[in-house]
Amino acid sequence: MKTNRSRRFLTLLTALLALSMFAAACGGSESATGTATSECGTDNAVVKGDKVTDLSVAVVAPSDSQDLAFTQSMIDSLTRLGIEPQVTDGTFQVEVAADAIRGYAEDGINVIIVHGTQYGGSLAEIAPDFPETSFIWGTATSTQGIANIFAYYPEAQQGGYVNGWIASELTGGGAIGVVGPVEAGDAVAYINGFKAGAEANGVSNVAVTYTGSFSDVALATEAAEALVTVGVEALTGTSQSAVGAVNVADENGIPWFGTQSNQEAWSTDQVVASQVYHWEVILDDMFEMIEEGTLGGEAMSLTLENGGLLVEINGCFNLDSDIESGAQDIIKKIIAGDINPPA
Amino acid sequence: MSELMPLLEMRNITKRFPGVLANDNVSFDVLPGEVHTLLGENGAGKSTLMKILFGLYLPDEGEILLRGAPTQISSPISAIEQRVGMVHQHFMLVPTLTVAENVALGLSSNRGIRTDLDTVSKRIMDISEHYGLAVDPGVEIWKMSVGERQRVEIIKALYRDAELLVLDEPTAVLTPQEVDDLFVILRKMTSQGTGIVFISHKLHEVLELSDRITVLRNGRVSGATTPAETNRQQLAEMMVGREVKLAPDKPALDRGKVRLQLNNVHVLGDRDTMAVNGVDLAVHAGEIVGIAGISGNGQRELAETIAGLRPAEAGSSVSIDGVDISRANPAQTRRAGLSYVAEERMKDGAVGEFDISENLLLINHGEKRFIRGGLFNFDAIKQHCQRLVENFNVKTPSLSTPISSLSGGNIQKVIMARELDSDPKVVLAAQPTRGVDIGAAEYIHSQLIEQRTRGCAILMISEDLDEILGLADRIAVMFEGQVVTIIDRPEATKEQLGLAMTGAL
Amino acid sequence: MSEFFTLSVLIATFASAVRLAVPYLLAALGETIGQRSGVLNLGVDGVMLLSAFGAYYTVIETGSHLLGVGVGLLIGLFMGVVYAVVTVHLHAKQGISGIGIFLFGLGFSDLLSQELVGAIQPIKKLPSLAKLPFVGGIFEPLEDIKYIGELLFSHNLMTYVAFALVPIVTWMMNRTTFGLNIKAVGENPQAADSLGVSVERTRFFAILIGNTLAGLAGATLSLQLGVFQQNLTNGLGFIAVALVYFGAWRAKWVMAGAMLYGLVTATRLQWQARDIIPNSASDLAAMTPALITILALVLLAKRVRGPAALTKPFTRH
Repeated sequence: MKTNRSRRFLTLLTALLALSMFAAACGGSESATGTATSECGTDNAVVKGDKVTDLSVAVVAPSDSQDLAFTQSMIDSLTRLGIEPQVTDGTFQVEVAADAIRGYAEDGINVIIVHGTQYGGSLAEIAPDFPETSFIWGTATSTQGIANIFAYYPEAQQGGYVNGWIASELTGGGAIGVVGPVEAGDAVAYINGFKAGAEANGVSNVAVTYTGSFSDVALATEAAEALVTVGVEALTGTSQSAVGAVNVADENGIPWFGTQSNQEAWSTDQVVASQVYHWEVILDDMFEMIEEGTLGGEAMSLTLENGGLLVEINGCFNLDSDIESGAQDIIKKIIAGDINPPA
Repeated sequence: MSELMPLLEMRNITKRFPGVLANDNVSFDVLPGEVHTLLGENGAGKSTLMKILFGLYLPDEGEILLRGAPTQISSPISAIEQRVGMVHQHFMLVPTLTVAENVALGLSSNRGIRTDLDTVSKRIMDISEHYGLAVDPGVEIWKMSVGERQRVEIIKALYRDAELLVLDEPTAVLTPQEVDDLFVILRKMTSQGTGIVFISHKLHEVLELSDRITVLRNGRVSGATTPAETNRQQLAEMMVGREVKLAPDKPALDRGKVRLQLNNVHVLGDRDTMAVNGVDLAVHAGEIVGIAGISGNGQRELAETIAGLRPAEAGSSVSIDGVDISRANPAQTRRAGLSYVAEERMKDGAVGEFDISENLLLINHGEKRFIRGGLFNFDAIKQHCQRLVENFNVKTPSLSTPISSLSGGNIQKVIMARELDSDPKVVLAAQPTRGVDIGAAEYIHSQLIEQRTRGCAILMISEDLDEILGLADRIAVMFEGQVVTIIDRPEATKEQLGLAMTGAL
Repeated sequence: MSEFFTLSVLIATFASAVRLAVPYLLAALGETIGQRSGVLNLGVDGVMLLSAFGAYYTVIETGSHLLGVGVGLLIGLFMGVVYAVVTVHLHAKQGISGIGIFLFGLGFSDLLSQELVGAIQPIKKLPSLAKLPFVGGIFEPLEDIKYIGELLFSHNLMTYVAFALVPIVTWMMNRTTFGLNIKAVGENPQAADSLGVSVERTRFFAILIGNTLAGLAGATLSLQLGVFQQNLTNGLGFIAVALVYFGAWRAKWVMAGAMLYGLVTATRLQWQARDIIPNSASDLAAMTPALITILALVLLAKRVRGPAALTKPFTRH
């Protein structure tokens, strides 16, 4: 037990070290816990790590594996753990997802990652039928009291606060726009944190629009267009539909702040920073517990402190180094508990 | 020589459908300038023969010659191209389109891809003037009465210069004057060399119009004759294959109290004009009042109003046994004691996809006797339906046969069985025997007379004057939304009624 | 609230409404033609997705929007042939066939996207008139006219195509022989058949046109957004089908519906951006466009019965 934990800690440390070295070596900029800066002109391909477990893993997720948002954050995290899961993606219809979950369980898959809050109801029906299978479900703060369910949750307000603070530095108090999807889950946490970070630094107008859809790109696009007419000087947004808003930011030369995955590919010029979910940090723990026979019963969260949340700064944006170090100070304060971003 | 060459010869036509021999070695020909009547009950094979002529079916055996030359008629288009025209019994009209659009359908336009409705309308006006067929080319079909629609059908064929015209039951919906007018038109056409195939049940018309008569029964020619050599009785028996009673027996009755009372009834029509314009009428127990009139003079709207399907204007009063139903919905009118036999039986009277049991239960499936423990009691339902089907002599393979696969007469019998079984106080019957064959019509008439004897008040709307004269105790004539005259049956003559129907009395 | 009612904001809202409405308009016009001929196509959304991806991928590979639109159109045409053969010639049930096309389009467009493109990458959006190659110069002064320019001349070419199609479709339905035939086979195919109008051919071409417009709608959607992702349409094709019903099968009412939907959506996004609608009411706000559009069309559009032979396969008997 103890050795395992320390081994994990070592792995994590090595990963972080490697990341920061990579960032430092390539970008030449300062780096500390919670941030990384990419070198402009290189792609951010996720490097496959060493395989941490022999458990068979499947993922059921609502959007595309390559959405540069919610679903991709999970797939990338598993890649970093050297795992090639079986994937059923794009199951925005809950019934389809439920079929897939049950199918994987019947096939004897050891661990099924149920990547969507909305699948919780179906999961509560399925999980008790397969007591030998471990279900990892999120984003959720509770395991619904079922023994073979792990829950996971990103403290998305933390990175949101950092993004919001950077944005406010860029606008110097000018208005900022947020394109939100549905008022639920990590989207709300991120947006609330972002708002708080910006407002703490003198921005009075953070205009938030919830489009009502995670996937409607046209709505996200027009929501961003509407925010542009309000005169926002920075934009952020979450969900896979955010790509529409990034396009608008790109066209209008407005800085963009991403979340869930690194969104530099959507706009090399305008993406300033992305809060990236590194699920591997908690997945690794969960896999170990599963190998030891604990199939669930615990909820874990991603934080800046445990390295599950990483604010990745776009090297191509040439963010002022003062702002970057300011952001690192904010991160330190959050980790230290001096700042408590509201979720 | 050319005068003797038949316009059409159908030789030894045989057509089989699964389980049915629809035409069995039928031969039939039409000379230029003659009316050759094809007579037969529903299902005798007339329609099949004519569908073969019009290219809708291909014969299994036999050949068709037009103007002496063997030909293939593989589709309606080739029939039209060979100047064969057809006025179908079930109108081949598009209700949402105008007269001109219906006529123009399938024709090539002088204006390229654009329609040329002005030219078409102009020619329609010419034709309708020439033959006395009053229609407005710009009116949509759905706003027209059945009679008007038929005129459009005839115009459609005339417009296409038909040399051989098939008319399937064309007089079923016309008034005597209209029939006379139609016969004038048809004679005008024959005088110009057009050959006409005339299909009708109305024996006196057949005798009046035809040059020759061919009778079909069970897919075979059962007789060929001319009007000079035969009479109604003989023709009827050739059709049915047994003895038939053409005039219904009606016992003398003293009429009772007023059951259906109409006072100052005003009803808006589809074109937002006053279709029924102040009708006062009382129908007593034990009498049949017939409403005669040219279609489109408010009869349909009046019937729909009484049945609760069309709202009456303020100030109108309709009551059954003193209970006001002028604002009632169909369910309420039924509760007040009304039974309604609708004019368009497949639209308002029956549900085509439903089977016979379901159609028999349409109005009373909620009754206690058919329900057991919240579910249908299928034994009781079957018993009930079996009884009705037997009592009303419905010819059907089973109770679960879809009603749409029955003949018109049998469909009407199912509807009558359903409507009359509830011992109604008032029966409203609109065109009860239209398109129904002689045997079934005879039966339906006897059922209405039985209801009359029972003390029911019967209001019968019919465009068939023979039916009205045969059944009614009093005859109300409608013209332009009003009852222009009410005549006791003994005093009524066809001529007098005909004049009243055109507003001339 | 007052800042919303300034000319520039109203114009921006209108422009946003137009962008939102155009894919609906194109798809619904196509569906109108198909339904008037008696064929319901629930596969619009699937056809749109395939065309949306086809157009997007073509632009990635060639950089040409024109080619992209062309590919979208051809995909629509091809799917039209498939659907027409299945429903008209093979007499398959229209409802389930359409759902089949939808599911195929949904799945296959996603598969192609993952195989051929991988991670989502934005492309250049459809240019406005003034930025068109060769002829753009003509429109440049027009687009520069204050307010009017943005209101009328700032849109992409497909927008003008879509709105121009409204009178064209109306004209086709009411003034051409083909339109007459379409209406006839949609109302009473037996009657049309008895006059030598080929029901099968008429429906075939009506479906072809309908699907081609669905293809254009899909291409316009992805090129206007500058991106393709799984289920990009988000049920847009189904709303287009609903617009046809609520627009009473008339091109102008269908346009009114599409525009109303766009306007209400654009307005609610503006009001949310300006906090006129608070975030607490965002769920309600998300529902309003569909509700208002349906309600308005139900109240305003002349109530007309649908084509009598809609969804009924035709066989001679």
